[in-house]
Amino acid sequence: MTPMTRRTTWTPWLYLAPALVVLGGLLVYPIYQLGLISLFRYTQAQVSGGEPTAFEGFGNYSVLFGDPQFWQVLLATVVFAAACVVSTLAVGCALAVLLTRVRAVPRLALMLAALGAWATPAVTGSTVWLFLFDPDFGPVNRVLGLGDHSWTYGRWSAFFLVLLEVVWCSFPFVMVTVYAGIRAVPAEVLEAASLDGASQWRIWRSVLAPMLRPILVVVTIQSVIWDFKVFTQIYVMTNGGGIAGQNLVLNVYAYQQAFASSQYGLGSAIGIVMLLILLVVTLGYLRLLRRQGEEL
Amino acid sequence: MKLSPRLTVLLTALALTACAPQTSSNSSSDKDDTSGTLRVWLFQEVGNKPKEKVVDSVVAAFEKAHDGTKVEVEYIPIDTRAQRVKAAFNDPASAPDVMEYGNTDTAGYVKDGGLLDVTQEFGAWPEAKDTDPTARTSVTVDGKVYGAPFYVGVRALYYRTDVFKELGLQPPRTMTELATTARKIRAAKPELYGLVVGGAYTYGAMPFVWADGGEIATAEGGSYTSAIDSAEAQKGIKAYTSLFSDDNCPAAKCAGFGGNDTVSAFAAGKAGMAIGGDFSHAAVEAGKVKGKYAVVPLPGVASGSIAPAFAGGNNIGVLKSTSHRTLAVQLMEQLASKKTQGALFDVMGFLPTYADVRQQAAEEEPFVKPFVQTLSSGTKFVPASPAWSQIDSSLVLPTMFQEVISGRKSVAAASKDAAKKMNDAFGSAG
Amino acid sequence: MNLLRGLVARPWRFAAEASALLIAAVVAFPLYWMVLSAFKPAGEIESSEPRPWTLSPSLDSFRRVFGQQDFGRYFVNSLVVAGSVVIASALVAFLAATAVTRFRFRFRTTLLIMFLVAQMVPVEALTIPMFFQMRDFGLLNSLGSLILPHIAFSLPFAIWMLRGFVKAVPEALEEAAYMDGASRGRFLWQILFPLVFPGLVATSVFSFISAWNDFLFAKSFIISDTSQSTLPMALLVFYKPDEPDWGGVMAASTVMTIPVLVFFVLVQRRLVSGLGGAVKD
Repeated sequence: MTPMTRRTTWTPWLYLAPALVVLGGLLVYPIYQLGLISLFRYTQAQVSGGEPTAFEGFGNYSVLFGDPQFWQVLLATVVFAAACVVSTLAVGCALAVLLTRVRAVPRLALMLAALGAWATPAVTGSTVWLFLFDPDFGPVNRVLGLGDHSWTYGRWSAFFLVLLEVVWCSFPFVMVTVYAGIRAVPAEVLEAASLDGASQWRIWRSVLAPMLRPILVVVTIQSVIWDFKVFTQIYVMTNGGGIAGQNLVLNVYAYQQAFASSQYGLGSAIGIVMLLILLVVTLGYLRLLRRQGEEL
Repeated sequence: MKLSPRLTVLLTALALTACAPQTSSNSSSDKDDTSGTLRVWLFQEVGNKPKEKVVDSVVAAFEKAHDGTKVEVEYIPIDTRAQRVKAAFNDPASAPDVMEYGNTDTAGYVKDGGLLDVTQEFGAWPEAKDTDPTARTSVTVDGKVYGAPFYVGVRALYYRTDVFKELGLQPPRTMTELATTARKIRAAKPELYGLVVGGAYTYGAMPFVWADGGEIATAEGGSYTSAIDSAEAQKGIKAYTSLFSDDNCPAAKCAGFGGNDTVSAFAAGKAGMAIGGDFSHAAVEAGKVKGKYAVVPLPGVASGSIAPAFAGGNNIGVLKSTSHRTLAVQLMEQLASKKTQGALFDVMGFLPTYADVRQQAAEEEPFVKPFVQTLSSGTKFVPASPAWSQIDSSLVLPTMFQEVISGRKSVAAASKDAAKKMNDAFGSAG
Repeated sequence: MNLLRGLVARPWRFAAEASALLIAAVVAFPLYWMVLSAFKPAGEIESSEPRPWTLSPSLDSFRRVFGQQDFGRYFVNSLVVAGSVVIASALVAFLAATAVTRFRFRFRTTLLIMFLVAQMVPVEALTIPMFFQMRDFGLLNSLGSLILPHIAFSLPFAIWMLRGFVKAVPEALEEAAYMDGASRGRFLWQILFPLVFPGLVATSVFSFISAWNDFLFAKSFIISDTSQSTLPMALLVFYKPDEPDWGGVMAASTVMTIPVLVFFVLVQRRLVSGLGGAVKD
């Protein structure tokens, strides 16, 4: 119980009021509309009044679930997002630890490079990476002596290339946040651990990771949300989903099947499905944490 | 996932009662003011200045001829046009009176209820009689005209004159020769693609289908049925996809190419031949092959024939929500007039939509001759159905080509799947 | 730091520093390539002999970028949008984060989850309902139609990040303040706010980048008034479907990235010390 709580119970709501007004008006209401739209036949013709709207119940959902491609894409999305989250977290945490081991100049160099990667617009980042790995015009194949090997032809190598770009532009967030977290860990704790002769890995596992957990929770949840919704990288780098759609992920699929041709009803249904999946993942993760005694 | 029955019932009830999603009423405006401000949207090209100049002079003349009328022209980036146009349909207050639009969008925009039917005015417009038939098709939906053609874009065969000379080759005269010539180039110069092709290059591939007598879809009583799995179309698909082989254009690289990639490869001196548009001229000129290439029409099946090309391009239309109907239609006619198109050809290289103006352009500028020849030998257009935008954006045709190229499916299976997807789209879009 | 340095033997530190520099080079390489491509003359960008340098740097691409009509105006608009979003969402998020960390009340956890949910929906899906809202508010074609949605989208994340910072301020401090007779408002703005400020800076980085780089809302809500357009729209001009102008894209991206980098360098110190606060709960 903090001192503030002892006063009136409406105070938190007062503080929350601006946020609730903004979020209620600009997020909750649109999401409610989204759910509504997903039950209708709602295309540009309906939006602009060319044709009347028609209630379809779960028609859009049955179209979606009846499309075998949807299930393939869903599977690919889950696997790809998981790979991205794990790689991003691993790279980010490893480099954060590395940052604590080096002097100012290399630290600043790495920090600036990372911040630059973070600041680059996604469209540009994807284009540049594609250039670098271009079989004809790119320097990477030259350096690696791969001749004119195409990275985007094979399904896995294309996903791998996109994964590299996603990790490149999202590890800085993890690295900077975790590095800041490590710096905030009291020095005595680490000293004690190292005096006990613990290995680096052990120090990370049993000292740093638990202390950084609040940060890692936020970072993980955010990465899951972002990587599950990856769009630009796949769209630009695999030219809209790869050879014969082999690299489609859910967001790109939603765009191609629905939004690009203004089928908002179907698109909203995909949006709702994504929302529910992410909600289940997040709630599951938070419940797991709570069982371990962690609190929100 | 707790979508409990109660919640479902609740949602359904909500949806059924008062809460239908919002729509706007985009009924046509009854007003026809004879003065005031007209808003015009045109596409912003890279290097837009010359276009602005031509348009400015049209506008100045128009304002002079119509007292009390002001014209505001805005150039919108091509990449934002989809959102902008949708938004204009949704919010008539922000909508322009006259706008430029891509000709494959015509049917979709008509269905959205955004474009004004100008059949009568177009019929009464003297210049319209010289509009070429394909351009006319591209503004027509169900027999009604929704705008005036602005310019056309068409593709032909670019080839390397130096390579052809060195190897003693002649520009191919049939599709079969095209393939053998391509392989000869690759055999003699393995660092070059023979004919650079792209699995995602729909408009480069369609001439092969059309040359063999195939069609994307056939119209019957206003509704379309896919014909992409017909025997003729399959023959064309086979002809195109067989070019993706190590002896011409290796699948590993070319399967993912779009039209732009093929033109870049040619411009960078990596290909003996490429299928490029009149609009690709600048890119090729800026590349390594400047001065070392020429263009001929893409050959058809029979010797000396020309494969039907896709007639892309843009139109100028009037929005239904305009409150200056008469003025807006007049401005549309001025912007799409022979004079304006001639001037735009001179500065931007846009091919005119009038047969006579185009002929004249070809005489002034020899480069466009093969393109004009291609146009006058007859071109094809995509199905004038609102479903086309869905078929296009969900990549039905590129997926089909790529499935064949990568060996995932046979021509028959891939084209059958594509036909099914197309028919679903035609069916749901009506 | 001294401690950590002491932990590692010298040769290890050398290896660590060498790899840090190497990784920095690898991470920076795509950026270098972007800037390089912006300076390369036309025709050299997509050349079959890619070289990591150019012998004839050209400003042509930059000239095309800056030569665009109203480029300066777009730049200012982008600054206005990003600036307003940063300030407004920081203030609102600060209040909300205080509420959810220093108070216990019903629906607290539910609210926290709700804040996350908002980020889970694909943005394209939300633009349609939002379009009608902006129209009803009469905000279409104004910078307000970009600022409001961006505040809404950056709030949830800002609140989540800020929670840690607010928690880190010792409760004893709060009690002491009240002992001294400070009002709740005084504690909030004159004591808590300055203490949490580094955290606010850190979270601002996120709202700044997302507002700065966005074009979806700009494409959808700025319909007929180009004077209200933003910087990314100027970048889009170079993506012509038939023949994208890569030099222009790279130059425009370089121009767009620089202000963010400047912002980063300015806040770098606070960013690190600030984000560290999130752990102290």
